[in-house]
Amino acid sequence: MPIKRVKPGDFTRTPIEKAPDPQLGHAIIAKERYTSPDFMKLEWERMWKRSWLMGCREDDIPEPGDYVCTEIGREAILIVRQADMSIRAFYNVCQHRGNRLVPPGIGKLKSFKCAYHHWEYGLDGDFVRIPDKETFPQGTPCQGLPEVPCDTWGSFVWYNLNKDAEPLREFLGVIPEHLDPYHFDRMAMTRDWTIEWDCNWKASVDAFNESYHVQGIHPQLLYYLDDLDIQIDCYDRHSRYLVPFATTSPRVKETSDIPPLIRLIMKQAGMDPADFDGKTREVRLAVQKWKRENGASQGYDYSDLNDDQLTDDYHYLIFPNITLNVHADDLMLFRQRPHPTDPNKMYYDLQNFRLLKQGEEKPERPEHRFYRHGEKSLGQVLDQDAYNLPGVQLGMQSEGFPGLWLGDQELRIRHFHKVIDDYVYGVGEAP
Amino acid sequence: MDLGLKGKKAVVTGATKGIGRRIVETLADEGVDIAICSRTAEEVEETLAVLRAKGINAVGEAVNVRDGEAYKAWISRAGEQLGGIDILIPNVSGGAGMDSEKNWQRNFEVDVMGSVRAVETAVPFLKKSGEGSVVFIVSTNAIETFAAPMAYNALKASLITYSKQLGQFHGKRRIRFNALSPGTIFVEGGAWDMIKTSQPDFYNATIAAHPFGRMGSAEEVAKAVAFLASPAASWINGTHLIVDGGYTKGVHF
Ligand code: FES
Ligand SMILES: [Fe+2]
Repeated sequence: MPIKRVKPGDFTRTPIEKAPDPQLGHAIIAKERYTSPDFMKLEWERMWKRSWLMGCREDDIPEPGDYVCTEIGREAILIVRQADMSIRAFYNVCQHRGNRLVPPGIGKLKSFKCAYHHWEYGLDGDFVRIPDKETFPQGTPCQGLPEVPCDTWGSFVWYNLNKDAEPLREFLGVIPEHLDPYHFDRMAMTRDWTIEWDCNWKASVDAFNESYHVQGIHPQLLYYLDDLDIQIDCYDRHSRYLVPFATTSPRVKETSDIPPLIRLIMKQAGMDPADFDGKTREVRLAVQKWKRENGASQGYDYSDLNDDQLTDDYHYLIFPNITLNVHADDLMLFRQRPHPTDPNKMYYDLQNFRLLKQGEEKPERPEHRFYRHGEKSLGQVLDQDAYNLPGVQLGMQSEGFPGLWLGDQELRIRHFHKVIDDYVYGVGEAP
Repeated sequence: MDLGLKGKKAVVTGATKGIGRRIVETLADEGVDIAICSRTAEEVEETLAVLRAKGINAVGEAVNVRDGEAYKAWISRAGEQLGGIDILIPNVSGGAGMDSEKNWQRNFEVDVMGSVRAVETAVPFLKKSGEGSVVFIVSTNAIETFAAPMAYNALKASLITYSKQLGQFHGKRRIRFNALSPGTIFVEGGAWDMIKTSQPDFYNATIAAHPFGRMGSAEEVAKAVAFLASPAASWINGTHLIVDGGYTKGVHF
C-alpha cells in the first residue's frame, strides 16, 4: 500500500511538487575527488571560496561584541555582532605579522587585540591602537581586518570568501521558500559537537543524501521509516528528499505490535501507544491528525506546516556542505567541513535543535564539544553511519576501485557531484 | 490416531495472523468449521477465503475486543452461525508494551477480559457439545521472566490460574479447560521477525539459547493446540502445556 502524501490542493507552504529528475547519465563518479590533494586544492579555490557557507546562529551572538570564530579549510573567519546590532565577518588574522587573533569558538570582546604585539581592532575591524605607531614610517595598512560578505537567513549567519559573491538569497535559491515555514528561529540548540572524521567531507554528505543504505547499515530503521517510497527533488545546486517517518518499510512485514521506535514518535507527540487500536501502518496519519488537533494546546504552532511535515523527514542539502533533517519539532543539522590539508579527514559538526513551546524561555546554549572519530557515541543511527565511513575512505584509495557506481536511489549524490564539477571545472566542462 | 475433530465447530479470536492464523488453518485441515474475528474486515475476509477453500464452513467479522458488548454479541452470533461451539480458543492479545499504565488496562481488556467474556458467552454452547474444550493461548513470558516487567506477562499468567479453576468448575458440564504457552515462535510480521532485522545480535543469542538451535514455528504450536482442543485429549483438563522446544529453564513438578 503506497504512502499517503500531501497532494496538490492540500494545505502546504513548503512546495511539494516533484522536481523533474535531472538527466545526469550513469557514468562512474571518479574517486580521486575524495582522495587527491590536487582536487582538494581546486575544490578550495573554485568551490569553497565561491560558496555561501554557514557560520553560526544569529542567537550565538546576541549582543554587541559577541563573536564566533569559525574555521573553513585553512581559513578562520570572525563573525561579529556590531554596536548597531548588524553582523559583519572578517578574516581572523592580524595585519601585522599574520597571527591569528582569536582561537575558534564563541566569545565576547570589546575589541580584538593581537596577543603578539598588541595590535588592536574594533568590532568593526578598524584599527583601534597600534603600539609605537611612529616606528612604522610607511604608516599603517590601509585597511583593518579584511571583511568578507555576510548575511543572515533562517536564524543562521552565512559568509562568503568571495567579496564579489552573488547575494545570499540568490545562492540559496528555493531554500528559504521551502524551509521558512519551519521557523528555525523558534528552535533552540540542544547539542553542538564537532567530530573529526576519518573520511573526505563529501563521503559524509553522500552518506546522508540517500536512503539506500538504510537496509544496509540501519536495519532497525526499517521499522521506523519508509526508505523506498521517498520523493527526490534536485534543484539548481541544492536538493532534498522527503522520507515518510512513523511507518514501516515495504521491505519488512508490517508488524502486529507497533515497533518501539514508532511508539517513541507517538509518545513524543503526546499520544499513548497503549491506547491505540490501529495498525502499524496507520500510525503515521494518526500522529499527523493528533498533532494537528493538539499541537496548539501543547504550545506548538504547526500552522505553517503541511500534514506530512508533522511526521516526515524533509531532508535538505544546502550546497555545498549543510545537510538538514528537518522535522516539525526538531532540526538535526550536519555541517561537513574539509580538513585544512588532508583529503582523508573532515570535521563533522553535529547540531541539534528543538522547537520551543510558545512563550518558553530559550534555554542556555550548550557548550561546544570536540571529539575524535569513534571517541564518543553519537546515538545508534549516527554511530552506524560514522562506523562505516573510514572503511569507505580507505576503499576509495584502493587500486581495485575505479569510482562510485550510483543507482537511481542515489540521484542526489550524482547531482551533488555534478554541481561540484560545475564549480571546479566550469558548467558542463567536467573532464 | 484420529483426533476426532472432523465436524467440530471452533471459535478462535484474533485469528488472521501469526499463531492464531495457523491454528485455524490446522483445525480447518482437520475438518473443523471455524468462526474468527480480527480488527480489520479485509483481513477477516482474506482468512475466511483461505479457510473455505479447505471445504469447511467459515464465518467471521471485524470486532474490537475492547468493546465488551460487541465482542460478546459476536461470540453468540458465531455460535448461532456455526450451529454450536465445541471448541473455543481465546487467542487475541493486546500485545506487549511498557508505554504507560494503559498497557495494564489494554492487556486486561484484551487478554484477560477477551478470554473471560468469550468463555462466559460460549459456555451455553459448549455444554451442549458434550465434548467442549477451551484452550487459552498464554505465553512462556507468564512463567519465566523475560526481557522486562510488563503487564502482558503478568496478566497472561492470570489466565493459567483462571483456566485451572474453570476446568474444575465446568467439569460436570463436560467442558475441558487448558492453557497452552507458546515459547519463542517465529512468525512473519511477528515480534521476532522485527528483532531478527533490527537487533540481529539479540536474535542470534536467543536462537543459540534454544536446545534445538532454532525458534519454534506457528505450525508446531497449532498442532499442539489442535490436539489439546480435540476429543483425543479427553482426559486432559486443567493443565498448562508449554510448547517452547525446551527453551524455558523452570522445572514443573
Ligand atoms: S602579529 Fe599581531 S600584533 Fe604583531
Ligand atoms: Fe545513515
